[in-house]
Amino acid sequence: MFPFLLAGRYLRSRLIPLIAVGAVALCVALVVIVVSVMTGFLDMLRNSGRSLLGDVIVSAPIGGIPYANEFMAELSTLPEVDASTPLVDTLGLLRMPYPQGSRKETVPVQVWGIDPTSFARVTDYADDLYWKPGTEEERGLMQEDDPRLPLDDSLLRQGETLLDGQGKPAIVLGMHVSIVNSRQGDGSYRNRYGWFLPGMEVVLTVVPIGESGRVGAQRDRVFTIANEIQTGIYEVDKNRVFVPIGVAQELLQMDAAPIVDASAEPDANGQFPVRGTSPARVSKILVRAKPGVTAAALRDLVEARLNAFTERISMDPGRQGRIPLNMNVLTWEQQLRDLIAPVEKEREMMRILFSIIYLVCAGLILSIFWAIVAEKTRDIGILRAVGASRWGILSTFLSYGLAIGVIGSLLGVALASVVVTRINDIHDAIGHDAPAWTWISAYAIAAAATWGVVCYARRAILLRTLLFGIVAMTAALLGIALLLHEGTLIWDPSVYYFVDIPSTVDWTTAVFTALGGVVFSVIGAAIPAAKAADTDPVEALRYG
Amino acid sequence: MGEPLLVADAVHKTYRVGRVDVPVLCGTSLSIARGEWVAILGSSGSGKSTLMHVLGGIDRPDRDKGDIRFKGESLASWGHGRIDRYRSRDVGFVFQHYHLLPELSVLENAALPCTVGGAGGLSLSGSREVRDRCTRLLEACGVGHRMCHRPAELSGGERQRVALVRALAADPAVLLADEPTGNLDAANSAAILDLIAARHSEGLTIAMVTHDQTVAARADRMVHLVDGRVECRPVSRSSGTSVPSRSPAAPA
Repeated sequence: MFPFLLAGRYLRSRLIPLIAVGAVALCVALVVIVVSVMTGFLDMLRNSGRSLLGDVIVSAPIGGIPYANEFMAELSTLPEVDASTPLVDTLGLLRMPYPQGSRKETVPVQVWGIDPTSFARVTDYADDLYWKPGTEEERGLMQEDDPRLPLDDSLLRQGETLLDGQGKPAIVLGMHVSIVNSRQGDGSYRNRYGWFLPGMEVVLTVVPIGESGRVGAQRDRVFTIANEIQTGIYEVDKNRVFVPIGVAQELLQMDAAPIVDASAEPDANGQFPVRGTSPARVSKILVRAKPGVTAAALRDLVEARLNAFTERISMDPGRQGRIPLNMNVLTWEQQLRDLIAPVEKEREMMRILFSIIYLVCAGLILSIFWAIVAEKTRDIGILRAVGASRWGILSTFLSYGLAIGVIGSLLGVALASVVVTRINDIHDAIGHDAPAWTWISAYAIAAAATWGVVCYARRAILLRTLLFGIVAMTAALLGIALLLHEGTLIWDPSVYYFVDIPSTVDWTTAVFTALGGVVFSVIGAAIPAAKAADTDPVEALRYG
Repeated sequence: MGEPLLVADAVHKTYRVGRVDVPVLCGTSLSIARGEWVAILGSSGSGKSTLMHVLGGIDRPDRDKGDIRFKGESLASWGHGRIDRYRSRDVGFVFQHYHLLPELSVLENAALPCTVGGAGGLSLSGSREVRDRCTRLLEACGVGHRMCHRPAELSGGERQRVALVRALAADPAVLLADEPTGNLDAANSAAILDLIAARHSEGLTIAMVTHDQTVAARADRMVHLVDGRVECRPVSRSSGTSVPSRSPAAPA
């Protein structure tokens, strides 16, 4: 028991262990904060990937998938399938309603033709629609000038059905497709220059590409904006627009069409005889799994069904459409591989790079303990002279290291959890000019410390003069930095996909990092502790 | 003379300073009887402190060159654990420079041999029994009112009293005092010597290094160390003088 009691006393009665505790805490906090943000980023990517795409994606090359409804009807008989939805995916240009006059802005967009009802069952589409009155609780949190406050649920219904007030096909835009939506600090949006887009008209231009890959003439269509959508993934919100699947198929010439025999003689009206019907086609089918079914398991099932379906269609001479051979059946993770994999790699690289921090931590503890042991040589001699064993001396300094590791790691994890959970507030604070009270306080501290410098310099007390001088200089520099600080945007959503910084502590990493901090503190303490245990008591008493 | 309690038998001790071997003890022999107070005198560098360290188990004689025996048992035959126990329970050390731990209070310093020896309980001031005993000793030595102070807050005389209490805390068989009054003024020296004499009268065996003849005169017997060897002088209590009779290798 004695070694622990003595270690505790050393810990409480000296300043130097506090420096060691601070070093461990900062090292641990650094690792936990970085890995937590990276892990949170990855989780957000994954969660939003699933909420955008469902679990399994069946996709076809340019030609598209015929008989999609039939295939989806087959899928719906599988007990593992919760819902499925067809999708038409193409690129287009969108002519915005602003500014006034003939020089209106045109932006490139990714057009998704969807069946809003089934699409909302597979993805979080309906939840992500932005212009809606919200729940009572949400309304309570909205600021007075929030444009959502006066809304009723008509825009929400328009978004959910993709039909405007007159029942005509409408369009839903990603929140950042237009530049008029300005994001506020609390995550809500205001409309710049009074441009509230729902109800306004836009012109969508697409280019149809035939089954054989032939590019057709461009097609324009005017849509009323029904609503706007915020998925949280900047790349999606910046580029994507949603239109009803029927309209998209028609514009892209992917709808059902009669096949005529151009080699035959036209009839009296000049029409060629109809040989059959080319079925409507879709680009993708998104499938959602029932709870408890993994995406990978569902993928295998869907692929097996697709192969059987393809074979049956190809054997059927009455069918004009052919299912392409090079179809892809992927889980959402595989589909987003190019997005997720780099982040995973980055996180692992960060983990490895930041593991070096552990070595820094061990080095710090080692040097601090070396100093402590050098200073305590005489005490070690006394302890040995009154009967302390080598093991007792070793345990004293090891438990000293253990205590520093445990306290430092706990403080580090606490610091990290505060920083990570408040990271968006911190980011917002950095994003604004520093409030006046911060630099005024810094100058006040600098002035007080300068007074201390003058007082101690006149009494010729060098150490205190120096310490107060350092405080005065640091506070003055901090004051200047705060005064000159202008808002800096660090987390640029266009670079990091998401509009918010992930703010969940990765507790697994936190626990392992804290353990690492403790282990490296003990290792750092072990070498000087062994040196202390080996100290010859006679030498220690004579020269210590 | 009673039965020998602590015996140094032809002890050699050589220190290596750089590349040079410096012999400090050259076949020193000394026998201390139970209940005896022996004063060890000698000039600087004669090996007085080294002899004390070897007697107290802090240092060991050169390999196969002499032996220390306590109650007939050779220290060379003991393992580390027994040597540690010997230092904490069987002998008590008083140093010239007090050697108190600055972070511990007076009471905790006094209880140190008991707490490092495993009788500490959950407190640095030891179990209740240890605490009571140390408190009594501190009061008897006139520093009872200083128990909660740190060593830095004490005078030299007070520190040496605390060091003396520490040496006596585990109720050792032998007190080894290395110039216990070397740093003290006359009044404090006399007080410390009175305290040691009082313990001696209760039967404590004492070996005390000093170079002060008047201090040595309080002992039952004086031995002189000259160049690492013992010269015996019987004490004449009336005059405080003694007649040297050299006995280099045989126990004095």
